[in-house]
Amino acid sequence: MRLGLRARAGVVFAAGALVVSASLATATYELTRQSLLAERERTATRAAYFDAAVVRQGLATDTADIVDVLRTLDTGQGRRPLIFKNDRWFARTADTGITAAVPRSLRTVVARGLPGVQRVRLNGTPTLVVGVPLRGTSADYFELTTQTELERTLRQLGLTLAVVAIATTVAGAALGVWASRRIMRPIVSIADTARTIAAGDLTRRLDPDRDPDLAPLTASFNEMVDELAGRIDRDRRFAADVSHELRSPLQTLTAASAVLANRRDQFDVRSAAATDLVVAEVDRFNTLVTDLLALARGDRPVDLQPLEVSPLVRAACHVNQVGPDRVHVDGALIWPLDARRFEQVLSNLLENAQRHGGGATAVTCGVVDESLRLVVDDSGPGVPVEERGMIFDRFGRGRRASARGGGSAHDGTGLGLALVAQHVADHGGSVAVLDAPGGGARFVVTLPRSTP
Amino acid sequence: MLIVEDDDRIRLSLQLALEDEGYQVRSVPSAEQGLQRQQDQPSDTVLVDLMLPGMDGFDCIRGLRRLGDAAIVVVSAREDTHDIVAALEAGADDYLVKPVQVKELSARLRALRRRSHPSGAALTVQTFGSLEIRQDAGEVRVSGEPVALTRTEFRLLCALADQAGRVLSRSQLLEQVWNYDYGDERLVDVHMGRLRRKIEVDPAAPVHLLTIRGLGYKMA
Repeated sequence: MRLGLRARAGVVFAAGALVVSASLATATYELTRQSLLAERERTATRAAYFDAAVVRQGLATDTADIVDVLRTLDTGQGRRPLIFKNDRWFARTADTGITAAVPRSLRTVVARGLPGVQRVRLNGTPTLVVGVPLRGTSADYFELTTQTELERTLRQLGLTLAVVAIATTVAGAALGVWASRRIMRPIVSIADTARTIAAGDLTRRLDPDRDPDLAPLTASFNEMVDELAGRIDRDRRFAADVSHELRSPLQTLTAASAVLANRRDQFDVRSAAATDLVVAEVDRFNTLVTDLLALARGDRPVDLQPLEVSPLVRAACHVNQVGPDRVHVDGALIWPLDARRFEQVLSNLLENAQRHGGGATAVTCGVVDESLRLVVDDSGPGVPVEERGMIFDRFGRGRRASARGGGSAHDGTGLGLALVAQHVADHGGSVAVLDAPGGGARFVVTLPRSTP
Repeated sequence: MLIVEDDDRIRLSLQLALEDEGYQVRSVPSAEQGLQRQQDQPSDTVLVDLMLPGMDGFDCIRGLRRLGDAAIVVVSAREDTHDIVAALEAGADDYLVKPVQVKELSARLRALRRRSHPSGAALTVQTFGSLEIRQDAGEVRVSGEPVALTRTEFRLLCALADQAGRVLSRSQLLEQVWNYDYGDERLVDVHMGRLRRKIEVDPAAPVHLLTIRGLGYKMA
């Protein structure tokens, strides 16, 4: 899964803050440690030299007891003196057992007459060992200085710096999220506006003065919406003009052909045949234009109202001469529907059954799986499987229907089922054609309960 | 009957076809002439197109309504909801979208011209609070004051009053008042609105003409 812009900004900011704060903390720690260590080492060395001088004087007499000399040293808690003489260690009784901490390398250096300093760990405690050769005696002086306090200071410092680094990282992440949210805000408002416009409010625009940095985006967005709104408006006007220009002559033709039909019996055979053709074709053309205009209007939103389904179904069946004994519909059923579109779905399915299936044999309507299910069965030849997808296309008449067509008066417009599919889709539903149990075709319309 | 239609061919073809159906038809090409003609020689039925030169169809309907209670049927190429509602609000009794089959138009006109109520109705007064309906006299009073209703409004009120307390669905009302097998339910809604404005004290909070959501209307 890809991280969102906000999460990514948070991560990047956090990583940046971590790198910066961690390197700063490390540098600070190292510098402080170095300077503290150097200072302690200087102090320890100075003290050791001083003590060594005292010890040398004490040892100047041959009779002097080495341990007594060591005891005269005022070393306090932190320093522990040792003397290495004739391959033997001398220490105060309190300090026995620490001689092993003096590294051999240091001892060798001191034995050669050179002073030396080395860091070791004594029982886990960091300790500084200073070795000073005692000139004029055959002894070497060593002093161990424990640095517990330094250790504690450094640990404290390290802890503090780590906490600061973590806090900086978290603050970085928060800053990243906050900054990206700030940046996202205009984008979110653009998305909101786009959604409102898509929902049909073509008057909505972005405020061009909101953010000068976003001005180019805002301007091109608004331009695009203007352009779209203009185009939709032109299309709508064109559709209205087409509608008017087609309906007006059709009205004349319809009325005039009715007058002709009334007088058919007074015509000679040839005129009567021609009249039949004119009347039938005007009728078909009428349906074709009405269906086409309804399809063109399909972009309008559905007008859902809770409706009693039973009277709608029964009325449509009555008009299409489907007897009440063949209609099975739950009398109390109320469903959110666009009345006109649902009526057209009904009447187109019934007309289709009439035209290609010898009339509907059963019309069933009820609720199945939380959806309204309308089933229209006929007793015709059915629809071959390979044509089932096609018959809902515009002018996508099945092979059988087109083969039989050839201009018969019962030929459909090729738009009825396309309109059914469109209206059903507008309701968020689906339509399918199956085999009816007794042979023939079964059209199943499923409409989910959409909220009005 | 009077046809107000600016398209010469439609006017002539409708006149011919409706004369075949047995109507006595006069026709004019503009709203102004239509109103003039209706004033001089009133027809009981008027067909009106909406897109007319000069005064438009909506104003023509309002003018005709002021002249009397002739049945007004709109025959228009416009099929937008707001046109239909505006025409019905202006006072039209029915609205048909071109092209109209002559048989259907004729059936619609017959339904509208039918006398307000079967003549066998008893000479009774139906009373609903301050609302009085005298069906035989074609009279409606609210708090004793007579109210002028169009024929369609009156028939709608009578249909509801005759079955007071029962819910009538829009399709039942369409059938009883307009004689539709099925048709545009906005007809019922718009007429109900007009009727409420005339007989309800507060049309926004009706006490007689109640909407039963999902089912239809009820008289109380």
